[in-house]
Parts: sequence; C-alpha cells; structure tokens
Amino acid sequence: MIVFDNKLKKELITLLDEKNIALEGNLVKMIDADGDDDFQTYLTTCIEKDRETRKKRLEITKQVQNQNKELTLLNDENVKIMEELQLTLRDMEDSKNHIELQNRELIAWKQDNERMGLELRDEMIKSENARVEAENAKKAAESDLDLLQKKTQTELIGKIVMIALYVIVGVGVSTTLMYVFSMITNKDTQMIGSTWSNMFGILLTNAFSIIGTIMGVKYASEKKDE
Amino acid sequence: MISSIMLVDDENLFHLVFEDACSLLDISLSLKTMNSADDTEKLFKKWFNDNDATHKPECVFVDLNIIGSSFDGIELIRKINFEYGNNVVIGIISSSNEPAEQAKALQAGAQFWIIKSDDIEPRLEEFRKDYDGYKKRTAPFKIYN
Repeated sequence: MIVFDNKLKKELITLLDEKNIALEGNLVKMIDADGDDDFQTYLTTCIEKDRETRKKRLEITKQVQNQNKELTLLNDENVKIMEELQLTLRDMEDSKNHIELQNRELIAWKQDNERMGLELRDEMIKSENARVEAENAKKAAESDLDLLQKKTQTELIGKIVMIALYVIVGVGVSTTLMYVFSMITNKDTQMIGSTWSNMFGILLTNAFSIIGTIMGVKYASEKKDE
Repeated sequence: MISSIMLVDDENLFHLVFEDACSLLDISLSLKTMNSADDTEKLFKKWFNDNDATHKPECVFVDLNIIGSSFDGIELIRKINFEYGNNVVIGIISSSNEPAEQAKALQAGAQFWIIKSDDIEPRLEEFRKDYDGYKKRTAPFKIYN
C-alpha cells in the first residue's frame, strides 16, 4: 500500500473541494489513509467517483459492443446475400452459356439443313434433268420406232402398190395383147373386146381406188403425227 | 482479490468491458491485455526461459477464437500448461458454448469456461467466489453461463 505525507493529502483534498479533480483508477485502491479520517473520506469519494465513471464507461462500451455485433451480423447477412447473388449470377451465366451452346447447335443444325436442302435441290434438278433426258430418249425412241413403222408401212404400201400396178399393168397388157392378137388373126373380138373393156374399166377403177386408199392412209398418218 | 490478470482477446472493446468489470467487482487491480495468441506465447516462453515469475500473471483469461493469431485459445492454454511451466489459473472466456470445444479445453488444462455476453458481471462475480478453488487446484472445471 502507498502512504502519502500530510501535505500531499491536504493538497489532494483541496484540489477535490475547489476544482472537483480527484484521483482515478485502481491506483486509488492502493493508497492507505494511514489513520487520517479526512483523507479516508477523500479516498472513498475518489473510489465512488471512479466507480461511477467506470459504470458509465462500461454501459457505453457494452452499447458500442452491441452495435458492433449488429453491424457484424448485418455485414454477415450482406456477405451471404452477395454470395447468393453471385451464385444466382453464376447460374444465369451457366444458363446463358447453355443457351448460347444450344443456339450454336441450332445454327449448325440450320446450316446442315440448308446444305442438305441445297443438295436435295441439286439432286432434284439432276433427277428432273435425268427425267427430261429419259423423256427425250423415250420420245426419240418412239420417234425412231414411228419412223421405222412408217418406213415399213411405206415400203409395204409401195410394194403393194407396185404389185397392184404390176398386176393391173400385167392384166391390162395381157388383155390388150389378147385383144390385139384376136384382131390381127381376124378372130371373134366381141367377147374379148367386151372383156378387155370391162377389165380395163375395172382395172382403172381399182387403180384409182388403190391410189385413193394410199393417199387416205398417208393423210391419216400425217394427222396422227400432228 | 487476484493479484494480476491477463486477458487474451482480439476484441479491444471487450478489453475495456473486462477492465471495468474487474475493477467494479474488485476482482483485480492489475490487468494486462493481449490481442494475439502468438504474442502471449512469446511472453510466456520468455518468462519460462528467464525463470521470471514476477511479471507472470496469476490468472489468464483466453478467448477461444483469436483473430489474427496462428492458433486458437485452446492451443494457447495447452502450450502455457504443458510447455511453459503452468503455475497460472487459466481458462476460456468466449461467446461460444460448444460442448466439444469445452471438452477440448478441459483436455488442454483449462480450469473454467466463462460465456461472454452483455451481462458478464454476474459470471465474474461467481468466478471470483470459486477462484480460491482454482488457485489450489481443487475446484473442478466449471462453465459459467
């Protein structure tokens, strides 16, 4: 314990009385009044003042401490919200990336489709060309066949006409010769004459009939071609 | 009255609260406050190496989680008890009330666990009553909540 001398004790008591300045802190508790009642009262006053000051400070410190805790809690909540926001942002970023990937796939798919469409169109054009070529080939074949048929027909008709003409000319010539021979040899020409006349008429009629038939066939063939 | 107390806590405001509470309750007139477990360890190491007991506190209150330190309060208690000569009343003062941590503190040699809250004075008052038992190493580990 600390013991002050009387002069110092009086000075301290006067300081408290006149200027309300007292010793503070735990040091006061270490001072011994040494049987001085006045100084003991002074020390008790100092201790009381110190207690009051400490109580006030303790309350204020606790309040500040509580405010700090609340601020810390608020800060923690803010940090948590920020973390949640960052997570949400990350999710959104992931979704965005996913959508972009899907878009890229769709674009690639569309480009594939377009390419396939173009290829299909080319194939269709080729197919159409092939069809047209086949059609043309078919027409050409048909035309060739028709020509062949016509040629055969014409040749046949020509032969028929030739044979008919030969027959007509042959019959005419032979009948005429028989008629001339009868006249030269003074034979009866009545029968041969009428026969020659009838025959000649029939032959002419048939000849014109054949020519008419040939013309008719030819006309019909031409019409059919058109 | 405890001759000297050391408080190891990273929260400076609690230093003021603890100092005022100790003074008002006449628990101790001498209080040394530390902010870091590492610095506290260095002090105890020095006192131990120098065989210096004059500056060593009689009682040490250690916070559980001391921000800015390389180890926690329980590890500091273990070091003081098992590496630097023990011979102090030592315990935890923390807002945590985890039984697992309390069991670890007991294993490390903590003698008490005071729950830190706004109303710290009644707990310190109760601690003061039990203090002789801690000093004599007769009081069991106790949680003040």
